[in-house]
Amino acid sequence: MNRRGLDRRMLLRGLLAGTAISIGLPPLEAFFNTSGTAYADGSQLPRRFGIFYWGNGVVPSHWVPTGEGTGSDWQLSSLMEPLTAVKEDICVVTGMEVKVPNTAPHLSGAAGILSGSPLLVVGEDETFSAPSIDQVIAQQVGGETRFRSLEFGAAARSGLSFNGPNNKNPPEISPILLFERIFGEGFRAPGDESIVDPTLALRRSVLDSVMDDASALRTRVGATDKARLDQHFDGIRELELRLARMEEDPPDLAACLAPEPPDGDYPDIDGRPQISAKNRAMCDLMAMAMACDQTRVASNFITYPVNNELFPGISAGHHNLTHDEVGDQPEVREIVRMILGEYAYMIEAMRSINEGDGNLLDNSIVLGTTDVSLGRVHDLTEFPIILAGGGCGAIKTDFHYRSTTAENTTKVLLTLIRSMGINMTGFGDDDAYTEDSLGEILV
Amino acid sequence: MTSLRSTTILFALAACLGSCNGTSEYPEVEPPEPTLRRLTQAQYANTVADLLGPTVVLPTRLEPDSAADGYLTVGAAVTTISPRGAELYEDAAYSLASQAMADTAVRDAIVPCAPSATVDADCAGQFVESFGYKAWRRHVTDDEAERLVAIAGTSATALDDFHEGLGFAMAAILQSPNFLFRAELGEPDPGDPGRTRFTDYEMASRLSYFLWNTTPDDTLLAAAEAGELTTIEGLTEHAERMLADPLARRGLREFYKEQLFLYKLDELSKDPLVYTHMSEDIGPAAQEETLRLFERIVFDDNADYRTIFTTRQTSIDRTLAAIYNVPAPEREGFGLTELPGDGERVGVLGQVSVLALHSHAVSSSATLRGIFVRETLLCQPIPLPPSNANTAIPEATGETPTLRDRVHQHLTDPGCASCHDLTDHIGLGFEHFDGIGRYRTTDNDYPIDATGEFDGRPWQTFPELAEQIATHPDVPYCFTNHMFRYANGHSPELGEMDGVRDLEARFVKSKHSVTSLVLDLIVSPAYRQTAPVDTAAEPSNE
Repeated sequence: MNRRGLDRRMLLRGLLAGTAISIGLPPLEAFFNTSGTAYADGSQLPRRFGIFYWGNGVVPSHWVPTGEGTGSDWQLSSLMEPLTAVKEDICVVTGMEVKVPNTAPHLSGAAGILSGSPLLVVGEDETFSAPSIDQVIAQQVGGETRFRSLEFGAAARSGLSFNGPNNKNPPEISPILLFERIFGEGFRAPGDESIVDPTLALRRSVLDSVMDDASALRTRVGATDKARLDQHFDGIRELELRLARMEEDPPDLAACLAPEPPDGDYPDIDGRPQISAKNRAMCDLMAMAMACDQTRVASNFITYPVNNELFPGISAGHHNLTHDEVGDQPEVREIVRMILGEYAYMIEAMRSINEGDGNLLDNSIVLGTTDVSLGRVHDLTEFPIILAGGGCGAIKTDFHYRSTTAENTTKVLLTLIRSMGINMTGFGDDDAYTEDSLGEILV
Repeated sequence: MTSLRSTTILFALAACLGSCNGTSEYPEVEPPEPTLRRLTQAQYANTVADLLGPTVVLPTRLEPDSAADGYLTVGAAVTTISPRGAELYEDAAYSLASQAMADTAVRDAIVPCAPSATVDADCAGQFVESFGYKAWRRHVTDDEAERLVAIAGTSATALDDFHEGLGFAMAAILQSPNFLFRAELGEPDPGDPGRTRFTDYEMASRLSYFLWNTTPDDTLLAAAEAGELTTIEGLTEHAERMLADPLARRGLREFYKEQLFLYKLDELSKDPLVYTHMSEDIGPAAQEETLRLFERIVFDDNADYRTIFTTRQTSIDRTLAAIYNVPAPEREGFGLTELPGDGERVGVLGQVSVLALHSHAVSSSATLRGIFVRETLLCQPIPLPPSNANTAIPEATGETPTLRDRVHQHLTDPGCASCHDLTDHIGLGFEHFDGIGRYRTTDNDYPIDATGEFDGRPWQTFPELAEQIATHPDVPYCFTNHMFRYANGHSPELGEMDGVRDLEARFVKSKHSVTSLVLDLIVSPAYRQTAPVDTAAEPSNE
């Protein structure tokens, strides 16, 4: 933990280890001094971080763009054609390698690319050994918004957003429930009155009591359970902050408009899930959640490692095809193209929201990636990475960087973390640890 | 019902243990340090229904369960509560509290007094103590009660309503880690200070979640209060009472559901183009069929557990009858039927649940089915393939039409065969059942050869293979190991293996009676003892 430079939990532990401490809220002003008019100054527009993650990899022989560098110096590969409309806003990184031990098909790669740390395998069960990058960033920037982070995905299953070992953030897989969570009760559009509701303060006092219970129980348990209770404590504290925020004036953001609820439940059609329709509804909600500054960190796990989703017009489940389809896998390639089309939609949804002199995407960084390169053999070389958005001018766009030395993909993660304005000495663990940014993609 | 036989055994056991002065005839165990166990989704729902009655609408969205060692109940001892989970538990708590306080019948059942004013600390205190006692499975301390009464008072003042205020105290109780986690942490055994035992209240909670998958009832809490659950006699009496109650069926169904991963059937995914029988009803129906079989063997017949592999009796509905190609026993719902005596389909391994779960979405799988037999039924771990292994098997062609032809490489390449020899031969014995469990005689129009050899014993038909699995010497040990895992929330560690082996021996001696195993386990040190908690230890920084 020291090595990763995260010390928030240590601080918490320090608080809890004492006796008879009442843990109150930090002064609320600290969280709101950037709201309202402060956003009129473009330099203070918040930076957002996103993940677009799909399962089962790509077909590397058709993956790598031709040419390197900027603009017309490089051309999208055939698999990336669905990203044509957003080419000027993406940065493709190829030739790098996930360096964690490849001990479990798919999930080792997922742990490596999302946390820079090896997968922890205990018996038949697998968990990340360290927080995923979205949570590393959310720990630093998420506290200023109503939701520290949002996780969703049309076929996300349990997602891959980890707070730590054995602690996942369950994603929302229903557009209507995602809508209700963000824009239902508790949401206020700019200009709305602040909520005067006596129960908000009461709920906070209830959460204080719950935290007292957690502190008391903490003194009776061993080290592992202390860590588990600390995580519960974290969650409660975050809820308390959210309630406090609802009592303040909503941020004044020109682009924020409460959206209409998505229509319907998107039931399966002939046994096939409506992945595209669900994804698009949720991407629209996510973009507006960011425009309304309800969150600054959002992860879209459109499909899951080893998923066997039946995509439209495809003859078998995705995972089976990656292993069973012969030759250069035309059906798998078609699935990858469909998925990247969904990524293009997410990017465009963010780009369509004006903000300051540019748009929401300009002030965001999205990490697009998967769990393997070639699914058939669970390869972790030539690892697929497509970044989107410039992160307030930090990251080059319309750019292809090709590594010739199979560099460590954690360098990309550390670059993104630092581009979010977070100082960190190094990131990752074991062979995947690095202290270096990928300078070539920085503006 | 629950067998005269097990009752007789119990009385004999209790008498013996009484005279043998404690647990001397059980081997010593060295258990690991206890850990907090989070309520699973099912446990949360059952518990809340018991606390508030059947009219309350239960929250459907809670922190998801996750499995460890195959068990959600073991996963509950390692996972934590995520920020989203805390949010969902908060929603659930207020939903329950407002329902309880708005419905006078529910309210009168849990609030033991009428308030004399909007703020009535005495009445609030009575509620906090009685409801907290049930919800936290122990007495609420004075400090805790004071804090909860203060919440009730502040809230009643703010809302100008005693009961609405009380709802906030109730929400505090239901969001507390004292409710969401089972803290079974042990105490020094007064009779043997070198040992650590679970306390009376902890034993009440352990028994209740093990046997009923819910919170202790009033009788069990009273027994804990009276100190009965730290004695062999008291434990035996209550375990027997609970096993005889219909709720024990629910509890042990949960155990078997987790043992066979039947919860995964809720998300069964098959390619409808390949399996035209596929519908969303199949997964739940298949789960119900298997659980009914287990329930019948354990409770109705108190039969030898191993008949689960060989019986031709099963309970099916119309959906399953269509797949089995037999008449549906009932027009609606499930009914008992006897499958044809000359057919291949027999026992739990011939049911859609097992056959469809251990297959791919578009095909059967000899490897997955073989792994299931080795790992789940025999507790023989199979190593994972190297992660860079090419796990594709060749396409079906004119020369290799059947799965047996196609997995040939598994069994001839020495790198593959070291493990696939252990699994694929067994799995090929299931080949007369396709990826959804329908009987077939051909694969790609070529006749299926489902004969083979299992650890040196040849079989010709599926019923013969099932018989070999049923009589495999590792089956009783493995079942005992599973029961231990479910009851204790962790896989047996080295220091506990003597205890598991001893329980296995008793299980065999009882002619594989599941209820006998449950009762033996409950009175054994492996269930009643733990290790002292190192409360000074702090989480490491790395």
